[in-house]
Amino acid sequence: MSKTIENLYAPPLAGKSEPLRQPWHQSKLWRRLKPYLYLLPAVALLGIWMYRPLLYTFYLAFHKWSMVPGTAKVFVGFDNFSRLLQNKSFVEAIGNTVFYTVGLLPFSIVIPLILAVVTDKMNDRMKNFYRALFFIPMILAPVSVSAIWRWLFHPSNGVVNHLLLKLGLIEEQIAFFSDASWARWIILFITGWKMIGFSTIMFAAALTSINREYYEAASIDGASSFRQFLNVTVPLMSPMILFMLTMSILFSSQWTFAYIDILTTGGPYGSSTNIYYEMYRFAFSNLNVGVSSAAAMLFFLAFGVIALALNAVSRKFAFYDN
Amino acid sequence: MTKRFSIASVFRHGALVLMCVLAIVPLYWMAISSLKNESEIFTSSIIPLKPTLGNYTYAFTQMPIVRMIVNSFGISIMMTMLQLTTSLLAAYALVRWRFRGKALIFSLLSVTWLIPFQAIMIPNYVLINDMGLNETWLGIVLPFCVSTFAILSLYQSFQSFPGVLIEAACIDGLSDWGILTRLILPNTRSTVASLGIIQFINAWNEYLWPMLVTKKMENAPIQIGLKLFVNSDSNMWGSLMAATTVSCLPILLIYLVLRRQIVDSFIRFGIK
Repeated sequence: MSKTIENLYAPPLAGKSEPLRQPWHQSKLWRRLKPYLYLLPAVALLGIWMYRPLLYTFYLAFHKWSMVPGTAKVFVGFDNFSRLLQNKSFVEAIGNTVFYTVGLLPFSIVIPLILAVVTDKMNDRMKNFYRALFFIPMILAPVSVSAIWRWLFHPSNGVVNHLLLKLGLIEEQIAFFSDASWARWIILFITGWKMIGFSTIMFAAALTSINREYYEAASIDGASSFRQFLNVTVPLMSPMILFMLTMSILFSSQWTFAYIDILTTGGPYGSSTNIYYEMYRFAFSNLNVGVSSAAAMLFFLAFGVIALALNAVSRKFAFYDN
Repeated sequence: MTKRFSIASVFRHGALVLMCVLAIVPLYWMAISSLKNESEIFTSSIIPLKPTLGNYTYAFTQMPIVRMIVNSFGISIMMTMLQLTTSLLAAYALVRWRFRGKALIFSLLSVTWLIPFQAIMIPNYVLINDMGLNETWLGIVLPFCVSTFAILSLYQSFQSFPGVLIEAACIDGLSDWGILTRLILPNTRSTVASLGIIQFINAWNEYLWPMLVTKKMENAPIQIGLKLFVNSDSNMWGSLMAATTVSCLPILLIYLVLRRQIVDSFIRFGIK
């Protein structure tokens, strides 16, 4: 194989001025096409399974349809949007989405950052041991996690209720999943439980890449460890902090989806639902594709704006140590 | 000075031990609950006094667990392989050549981050139905056979591949395909493998889409079967925990063996 190619590259012998015939796989056209051919599977599949459906969802947002094959899609203009915004449960879902997004920040940023800093000066073997354990919730499936917590928080037989009763913290058992004042806190807690170890490890990894000399310089200048944290650690960690912040804000509503569906189905009285769960219910429980698509379109645009804003913030404030 | 150090270190280890307890206790409780017999399951004893496998036999007779585990493995392996293939080809093209429309392709790839699955589920569901692929492995795999996360991760690691080596291979007459399969791939094997592990775990844990595509237990991956079980038998806690243990076991075993690589690759690539 390589031998024949070598021969082709070999300079033509003097005297024999016969022009070299170019095979197809060396022609200019082929060489220009080649990158696109390598990209073709990925781009074509993205087109079919990402961008086509996205545009189709935008199209459906202006139509009334029940997903039944063979039925016509009726154009209704902005009707779906106005119905959506008048829908009480949807307005409540927006409030809960904000609740989950803000509520997750302590689990994805604040506590992990503190834990990472506190454990930074530990020897490697201990660090790896802790890291391995921290990581376990992250790799478990949402369904398995839900099943476990459902059992732990069981209203009459769960171990959490047992413990709280024994410690005298509560007087009667709490029905965590069917009590409107508890349900969304439990969903938030489970999502946070899954997140916290992972964030800690990400921050710990970013910490190890900070140059130690900054701390030495700061302590020579007499900076307390809290000041060192504020003036050295936080600025140098800012790219990672902003990265985790973006992830947390953009994805927290998606992370809570499975727990909402399995543990509370959005209830009681819509107190634990979020926008993605409502989209799912509009489409697959109420068979109201138009309203679901309108919500999807609205929030695709809203999260797009948020992402752009966060991106601008990271460009402006992230501090890189060169 | 020594005193301050010891207080700090007590605090440090205390915080860590608390975190570990929080991470592990739910799993421990799952495992021991699955071994407790009917009279013991509702007590809060921390060791099962008369361990029994009865819950497991009940769970295995109640649902086709073996079948669902096979489904999960089949789907996850298929998905991972397809994702790795498409992203290897795409990342190679992006690193290797300069061509028209490259910027456009990068922005198409990045924007997919912002597309939540709920915004594309209806058209995809309709398409899979039209193709007659519901209740099949292929129906679950197809919408996920390209991952922009994988493409961009591989692009990053390929970029650090020394260009001199590629040039040398060119001069030696290795074809472009050969450079990918005989030079780059063997040298980035561990990167590709760790990416594969992440993608496998993600595929194994996938929830919403498999739930839409499969309705029957014998076609469903284990996660969906478990969900149906959670919602049907609300009082068989022992066997539910047995089924949950079985559903976690493959991932936990992989984690036990490849602990370091998994943690490192998550750190390197972040999350999807």
